[in-house]
Amino acid sequence: MKRFMNYLAVMLFIATGLTTVQAQTQEYTIDGMIFGMPEATVFTDDYDGPPVVGDYVTMLPKLAKLDYEGNRHHQVRLDTFVQEIEVAEGVRYRAWTFGGMVPGPVIHVREGDRITFTMKNRSDEMVQINEPVSELLMNGENTGGPSGLDISYEVNEEEFASPYLKQIRENNYMNTQPSIMPMPHSMDFHSGTVAKDDKWRTIAPGETIQFDWVANYPGTYIYHCGTPSVLMHTAMGQHGVVVVSPKEGYETDDRIDHEYVVVQSEYYLKKGAGDIYQYDFEAAQNINPSHVVFNGHQTILHDQPLKANAGERVRIHFSNNGPSQTSSFHVIGAIFDRVWMEGHPDNEMKGMQTVLLGASNSATVEFIVPEEGKYILIDHEFADAEKGATGTLSAGPRQ
Amino acid sequence: MLRNIIHIILICAASLSAAAAGTAQNRGIIEIPAGSYHSVLPEVVGEPVQVAAFRLDETAVTNAEFLEFLKVNPEWTRSEIPPVFAGSSYLEQWQDDLQLQDDRNGNEPVTRVSWFAANAYCGWKGGRLPTLHEWEYAAQAMDFTSAKEADRFSYELIGWYSAVDAEKTGLTGSTGIENRYGVKDLFGLVMEWVEDFKPPVGEDISLDCGTVGRMKGDSSIYSYAMSIRFITRMSFDPASTTGMLGFRCAYDPLPPVN
Ligand SMILES: [Cu+2]
Repeated sequence: MKRFMNYLAVMLFIATGLTTVQAQTQEYTIDGMIFGMPEATVFTDDYDGPPVVGDYVTMLPKLAKLDYEGNRHHQVRLDTFVQEIEVAEGVRYRAWTFGGMVPGPVIHVREGDRITFTMKNRSDEMVQINEPVSELLMNGENTGGPSGLDISYEVNEEEFASPYLKQIRENNYMNTQPSIMPMPHSMDFHSGTVAKDDKWRTIAPGETIQFDWVANYPGTYIYHCGTPSVLMHTAMGQHGVVVVSPKEGYETDDRIDHEYVVVQSEYYLKKGAGDIYQYDFEAAQNINPSHVVFNGHQTILHDQPLKANAGERVRIHFSNNGPSQTSSFHVIGAIFDRVWMEGHPDNEMKGMQTVLLGASNSATVEFIVPEEGKYILIDHEFADAEKGATGTLSAGPRQ
Repeated sequence: MLRNIIHIILICAASLSAAAAGTAQNRGIIEIPAGSYHSVLPEVVGEPVQVAAFRLDETAVTNAEFLEFLKVNPEWTRSEIPPVFAGSSYLEQWQDDLQLQDDRNGNEPVTRVSWFAANAYCGWKGGRLPTLHEWEYAAQAMDFTSAKEADRFSYELIGWYSAVDAEKTGLTGSTGIENRYGVKDLFGLVMEWVEDFKPPVGEDISLDCGTVGRMKGDSSIYSYAMSIRFITRMSFDPASTTGMLGFRCAYDPLPPVN
């Protein structure tokens, strides 16, 4: 009897959970923007295929070209899972990731595009991302999925589920290794306008969430896990950016030679057991990061500098993903010819030396590379620069 | 003084009761006296939660113990459990229904068990899962010599919550963490099922960025660590089976001896 009562109690919890989620409104339009997305679905399945799917999903600092006209309906998957990664020479920790790296992949869409987003919480699963998809398919039982089921789709040797998976295969600078740390997670896209208690819902390990959002506003927006402690989840690595290119473009589009994405963020790490580092909550609470980095790694933008030539125009979508600090972004030797705050084409400024960004602010900046040589990207808050927030743009001679 | 004497009596009673149960296990069942603690849930703001006396397993249930249960209750083995009662990774550390994988140890806590399976096991043992309040009350019966020591412990605890190695849990009893009654590994080994892991109030709190700020009963680090625990538990589904989730059983108090 007691046991039956327990089951009943649990079923009631579930039923309560189902009924308290509000059904979403019908789709409607204001000022040409689309609101009222269908209700998110949460389900359990045995998916163990590619963890990152999407034609315009890339690895930092790359940005996919939008080779389509008008608007498109994107199918994007970013699974959340654990990877042990290198964030500085000799510093490795078990990161909570979207797609296997910190920050997660760059998603590129156009203003007005619709995105059907899927995320499985695979934090309780060994997920391999440093093998090409074709090999993953051939080694069926090593894919880390719990089911051992056959995978029903076909991928040929050259095809990847996303440019990101190909890029990480070619350049795995974090030397990612799969790991397990089962935790609840969620996804919060700043680029979406929806009810967070529906779309940004927390899902348990093994669950998948799927929802739609429309890129109503142009700009560069962070995404992050919103599950409490949000400080812990973001500091552990769950953040990335979506670049929403304006429908009408920026006025300099036809004069741009290079377009990159750079993300600043903080790590709060201390030596744990063995050689592995772990989250330092005391440091996180006191906003005393161990590392402040560009694109997730203390030296990556020096080891693999951005490239340009003298006389060229470089555009950088720069986002400060925090979680807690400001950034004073500057490029040594250059002046920002144009700055669009948050990446919105209406927020234009000219001739800026430094752009001040709070946590989760971004700017799209452009500068003209004056001469052959080295240009240092830097957080001009020098304590942060000396914790790693620097990078190099290496300029060749004028063509 | 009186309280100390009561404690000693209770501890004696605990060891007696373990002996009386006469099961072939090397761990005891520990008496937890009635008392109160401060929850981070907002249901009773500022008021401590009263908890009646109960008994609690000294350590988490091990693989070896769970195997005994499976032998006589085959409906809970991997091949027979209905999918509504457990996720697909249920008992993944077992090679087959009644055999652990070679690299796993019988004295590790059993993990990848659903709430349903944990609940059934405890019923079979003549007990039940502890309630959320019982578990938290027992877990927080820690004697720290100073607030500073409590903070230090809590910082470590939060670090652990971010870095549990679900592939290599230690053996039960190995953490060295013990509450004032002798209950072991409530922290530092695995997280544990409780009977009402998803309290109704959880829906109101909702799991979002601001939740920790609203949950913290006070500004202590200890309270922060507790919030993380509550939040993680609330996200589980009763069929959840993860590598960091095990359980121990609770029991009603023994009837008084005349
Ligand atoms: Cu998370």
